[in-house]
Amino acid sequence: MSEAAVLSIDRVNKNFGGIHAIKDMTFEVRAGEVLGLMGPNGAGKTTLLNLIAGVYRPDSGRILFEGKNITRYPPHKICHLGIARTFQIPQPFTHLLVRDNLMVAAKYGNKRGDTLEIDEILDLVDLLKQKDTIAGDLLTVSLKRLELARALASNPTLILLDEVAAGSTEAELPRILDITKQVREMGKTIILVEHVMKVMVEAVDRIIVIDKGEKIAEGTPGEVMEDEKVLAAYFG
Amino acid sequence: MVVRDKMKIPRVTTLVSVAVLVLLALFPLIGIPPNWLNYLFSFFIYLALASMWNLLAGYTGLICLCPHAFVGLAGYTLAIGTQVGVPFQVGLIAGAAVAALFALVISYPVFRMKGIYFAIGTLVLPEALKAWFSFWRPVGTAYQGMGAGYSVIGLAGFTLGDKYWLALAIAAASIFVVHIILRARLGLGLTAIRDNENTAASSGVNIFRLKLSSFLIAAFIIGIAGAAYYIHNPRIQPTGGFNISWLLLPLMATVIGGEGSEEGPIIGAAVVTFLRFLLADYGAWSLLIQGIILVVVVVTMPQGIAGLLRQVGAYRFPQKLFQAAEGKIHRT
Repeated sequence: MSEAAVLSIDRVNKNFGGIHAIKDMTFEVRAGEVLGLMGPNGAGKTTLLNLIAGVYRPDSGRILFEGKNITRYPPHKICHLGIARTFQIPQPFTHLLVRDNLMVAAKYGNKRGDTLEIDEILDLVDLLKQKDTIAGDLLTVSLKRLELARALASNPTLILLDEVAAGSTEAELPRILDITKQVREMGKTIILVEHVMKVMVEAVDRIIVIDKGEKIAEGTPGEVMEDEKVLAAYFG
Repeated sequence: MVVRDKMKIPRVTTLVSVAVLVLLALFPLIGIPPNWLNYLFSFFIYLALASMWNLLAGYTGLICLCPHAFVGLAGYTLAIGTQVGVPFQVGLIAGAAVAALFALVISYPVFRMKGIYFAIGTLVLPEALKAWFSFWRPVGTAYQGMGAGYSVIGLAGFTLGDKYWLALAIAAASIFVVHIILRARLGLGLTAIRDNENTAASSGVNIFRLKLSSFLIAAFIIGIAGAAYYIHNPRIQPTGGFNISWLLLPLMATVIGGEGSEEGPIIGAAVVTFLRFLLADYGAWSLLIQGIILVVVVVTMPQGIAGLLRQVGAYRFPQKLFQAAEGKIHRT
């Protein structure tokens, strides 16, 4: 493990029945970077996030976070260490107020280091006006932002973002990029799963492309886009 | 769910609650007919059960179908305890403790099941206990093959008034406990689990530990309410102690009153007690009528009476009144 790596995935495998969802996955995430995870539908991106977040346990391999082996940790302990995640399909606490959605994460999340104020986070994602709204009454676009806000409220050092821009209109993309940038400036490390190319290319430092559970390319956005294997995976 | 958030309650409400509590506590002293005290006793016991059932189903998302296991175990602990010379006061607490211990023992297997599977998993437990207590006779005369009943003894000198106060204290405590939990970190975690377990876990909530806290608190208070009932009706049978009506009463009270609201169980327990009073002479018909009422409530007011009251804004006037009163207190 190199010195600056926050997270390191070491030969991780995961099977679901006969399906080999993740094959010998190995990569590192460096402190403070934005790493993009790319791949066609069903490539295993969300599975990979679920493995990191502790929802699934790998069949073999290790996952190290800040040098600590978290391979067999349950989700709540992983959150306590400082890894937060958003869900691809928003999963709010439907009957709680927007601010209480964040309060759960703030009160039960990572207690080390400086925490952000709830209002500060809501302001960042443009939800401050809706802080006394029931989460179940929010529109999908707002729910996507609530996902990010809740993740931030648990005071993470590493955030796993699963398609925050999916379903957004072209006009909303600059704001999403801006929010991502601000999160990064807070010193958070980000793993970004994204289909929207514009976000991917503009927001990330480095991209890992996976297909059928295997890593097929790694590099800067420019390098990856010219990779033959990547073009083959996307365009056949 | 009626309460999506705890209501903001004017502080005067506390005063009003205390006044109601004092008034209720005075009833045995001012010559209220014993029959009334009996009905109020039932009301307090149902209220404690409903309040705890609401904590599990309305706030934790656990559809627990085994309160009769807690009632029966607590009742048996009390009865057997008094048979071997333990004072009934100690038996009362011991009964609640045994109910909570049982909850602890079953927690690991039943919490592995979710939703409807949890409900069914808990439903079989009281049946197993009922069978067990039909054969097991730890103390007393030999078993005659006719069910293993016990009397609660050593109650001399404990008057109807005393029993009434005991039940009142238990009911008040059950409401107070829920009130405190909802305003603490625990309540936030429980409602998060109720709404979405996956999100709660990934936000750092230890699902098992929080569900267990809620389950143990409910088992203890349901147990103590059940034991109090058997101090008033001092004979327990397996078919009585583990009777499914110990499940149906709080379930009905909670659903009619409004699941997931603080006032729901109070309203519901009052309705259920009043129905028992009205239908006392109709035997089996009363079950049919209660069933019809339950169906009508579920269809016409899915959020219970409390939900309806909130919808029509019935709390606005008293809330304003209380706030005005509070304003006056502050000015003077």
